[in-house]
Amino acid sequence: MSDYLNIFTRVQVRGPYEPGLPLPRGDWTRTSPGSWFEYWMGKIGDAQIGPIYLGGLGVASAVCFMIAFEIIGLNMWASVNWDPVQFIRQLPWLALEPPAPGYGLHIPPLANGGWWLMAGFFLTASILLWWARIYRRAVQLGLGTHTAWAFAAPIWLYLVLGFFRPLLVGSWSEAVPFGIFPHLDWTASFSIRYGNLFYNPFHMLSIVFLYGSAVLFAMHGATILAVSRYGGEREIEQSIDRGTAAERAGLLWRWTMGFNASFESFHRWGLWFAVLCPITGGIGILLTGTVVDNWYLWGIKHGIVAWYPQSWGQMVDPATLVGAPK
Amino acid sequence: MTIASRTEDSTMAMLNFEKKYRVRGGTLLGGDLFDFWVGPFYVGFFGVTTLFFAIMGTLLIIYSASQGPTWNPWTLNIAPPDLKYGLGFAPLNEGGFWQLITICAIGAFGSWALRQAEISRKLGLGLHVPVAFSMAIFAYVCLVVVRPVLMGAWGHGFPYGILPHLDWVSNTGYQYLHFHYNPAHMIAVTFFFTNCLALALHSALVLSALNPGKGLTVKAPEHENTYFRDIVGYSIGTLGIHRVGMFLAMSAAFWSGVCIVISGPFWTRGWPEWWTWWLNLPIWR
Amino acid sequence: MNYGIRLSVGVLACVGAAFLALPMFMGFQAPGIETVQRGFRGEALGLVYHKTDEAALEAANKVPGYLPQLPAVGPKASAVYKNVKVLGDLSVGQFTRTMASITQWVAPQQGCAYCHNTANMADDSLYTKVVARRMLQMTQNINQNWTAHVAATGVTCYTCHRGNNIPQQVWFNDAGHRQAGGAAQGYTGKNEPSKAGVWTSLATDPFTPFLQHDAPIRVQATTALPTGDLSSIKQTDWTYALMMHMSQALGVNCTYCHNSRAFGDWTQSPPQRVTAWYGIRMVRQINNDYMAGLTGAFPANRLGPTGDVAKTNCATCHNGVYKPLYGVSMAKDFPELRVLK
Repeated sequence: MSDYLNIFTRVQVRGPYEPGLPLPRGDWTRTSPGSWFEYWMGKIGDAQIGPIYLGGLGVASAVCFMIAFEIIGLNMWASVNWDPVQFIRQLPWLALEPPAPGYGLHIPPLANGGWWLMAGFFLTASILLWWARIYRRAVQLGLGTHTAWAFAAPIWLYLVLGFFRPLLVGSWSEAVPFGIFPHLDWTASFSIRYGNLFYNPFHMLSIVFLYGSAVLFAMHGATILAVSRYGGEREIEQSIDRGTAAERAGLLWRWTMGFNASFESFHRWGLWFAVLCPITGGIGILLTGTVVDNWYLWGIKHGIVAWYPQSWGQMVDPATLVGAPK
Repeated sequence: MTIASRTEDSTMAMLNFEKKYRVRGGTLLGGDLFDFWVGPFYVGFFGVTTLFFAIMGTLLIIYSASQGPTWNPWTLNIAPPDLKYGLGFAPLNEGGFWQLITICAIGAFGSWALRQAEISRKLGLGLHVPVAFSMAIFAYVCLVVVRPVLMGAWGHGFPYGILPHLDWVSNTGYQYLHFHYNPAHMIAVTFFFTNCLALALHSALVLSALNPGKGLTVKAPEHENTYFRDIVGYSIGTLGIHRVGMFLAMSAAFWSGVCIVISGPFWTRGWPEWWTWWLNLPIWR
Repeated sequence: MNYGIRLSVGVLACVGAAFLALPMFMGFQAPGIETVQRGFRGEALGLVYHKTDEAALEAANKVPGYLPQLPAVGPKASAVYKNVKVLGDLSVGQFTRTMASITQWVAPQQGCAYCHNTANMADDSLYTKVVARRMLQMTQNINQNWTAHVAATGVTCYTCHRGNNIPQQVWFNDAGHRQAGGAAQGYTGKNEPSKAGVWTSLATDPFTPFLQHDAPIRVQATTALPTGDLSSIKQTDWTYALMMHMSQALGVNCTYCHNSRAFGDWTQSPPQRVTAWYGIRMVRQINNDYMAGLTGAFPANRLGPTGDVAKTNCATCHNGVYKPLYGVSMAKDFPELRVLK
């Protein structure tokens, strides 16, 4: 068929920049001049870049983030003795590492985790200030605060990983290093130490919601594009005044799987799936090492471990044999 | 009372606006023969094939489980054949059931996608939904067909069982010593997390415009755009977010398929070692 | 931005991308693999080999020809030669054969002069002779007391040396490398490309704690609920680095010894894990009871950056293969290397 599938915008319209809706008294003004049109962005979405609202919270968040970024980056660079070529070459391997286990929850010396703690503090401050910005901007524009509450879910996970769990197990050393490959090493070591995280039921739930979010956004994105010829992307209008786009979209799924959401209710499905991924993930992390020390053995206790026939005999731990070498 | 219906609503299955949409046509195969509804479900030729494969596959799963040691839904295991059978058929209880169930699964998934296509055509819609679903089917086929064929044995597929398939994932990952270093895996994970973020942002944004809080009026797309421009300096817009969302979700599935196909057929060592191409670039070796 | 700038940036970006893309894609391997199943079907316990890699390993691990055994006739070597401390009970013919074999295995270019003062073969003036004597005892000890690891296959000098004065796979204590120092983050022993860790960012030197000292390798709790196991994630990082080395040294993956759903569970581990457990203890004994004592014998150019002696790890003998020399026994034809007197 030679339908236009509306993947890329064929005709881009240029008009005056949208300055944004007026803000209440007390807010800053937006950046000025603030905007330009970007042709390649216009191929997939809106072409207008900017303006942006800085605001007190935004500026404070950006400053804290830059401090954290600099602490992390400069310490990484220091670890290759300021060599700029090695910095680029080794960058994926470099890290700012949390302190050694012996320091517990004390503030460690700068050279042994102190910088990590400081970077973590500023990054956390930046994130929390950003959360406040997300909340406030919604209130100032008369929108619901759903975005802020959605953002609270990954903040929960972030705080569990870097703050709550280390607190509960009594050691900053358990937290995640700042570094591309090193944070992946941490993930693998975390699973190895605690008896294979696949057996953690909250890990299972988190994955269900992660994959489920992919399923849902594939479905939703595709559905809206499929009804975009009827104005389906105008979701607010279709929600309060159902048109043929909403009707056809609903029927597509009703006829396929026997039930459907509405234009508004789909977004509730989407929001819950998306936020439940970090929420259940955070719970799973928090329970690890605190309530459960070995998830495979927990699985044995709860009867979820599969049995396989084995082609070799059962080995005995050689360390338990009499006269075993050390 | 009629169960199957072309246009009449004799059950509660039809929505109050639905009748005018229940028209003839849009089918890919079979013409008028299966062009009817059962309750809210559209049948179509591919609805019949879906039912066939799904029921067949489910019965095979149940029967195969009955030949195994347990009914525990968590530990139930329908395992692929031993590698020694290569790409041939294995005895039923030695992996043959797995093979038949896999055929049924592909048949059912493919039928589902084609049925979505028929429904889309009937409703005068673009075929985006079956295209998106086909990417998920691609990922499944990568796991149970493409990679096993490239590696020379059906036994490389994953077992059908809730915990057993996780044991397979764990062991397959450790066959490459540290699977997180697989570059395609990194890309896929990034797409999965970004998709989750985007779904949360989009859903929250729409709901925040539709549910502004007590006493306030429902907001317009201009508010949505203004909000995102205020917080991050850019708003992709109502159409763009759906393009991006579909792209992110499909990319996550695509790169997942890629990351497993390259593990084995195109790389046999530990994945961290693959990064030596970067470390050994001539400019800084 | 004007068109000219956009165009130049675009062209540069494409060229840069191509410059990276080529080595990146060349980094993959063309298909040509063999797979081995080692557990129940569908468990994904097994090995994946690339035919080119395997061919290279086979070429690098060939068993050399060696002189046939000689009968024990005639006077003993200790009666005929002076200062024979370890191999004295051999006949002269057997002794000479052993010497010739050692020469072939350790110093084929330099010949007898590598260890001996050719004007007086008995004297110990060259450090290599002192070291070789101790290494003979080490070899006898391995073959006699570590059958739990080397079985009846055993080892000879060739197993490590492979015709080289120094085995190609030895290690020294990590001296760290230049860091900026001052107030910046100190050296952590990790978070850089680690050769020992097979290019992860795990520890650069997992050998000192685990193959020289006896730091605990186990990090998993043995009960579902907490009962006092205080192993940390960082300790796990270090154990993981050791395991990366072992995997590469043997040319295998983690599932060769473990079922990854329960790394610590011995009842689900193949027999190779037990063999490896003894191997770790054997290497510790080699490093501490034999190599460490030789530190003073070596000249400075044979020592590491912190002045320590070269030490062994799994790769020293295995050289990338699951059994050294694919399990072919040379020691069976050298009974003098199999008993520690």
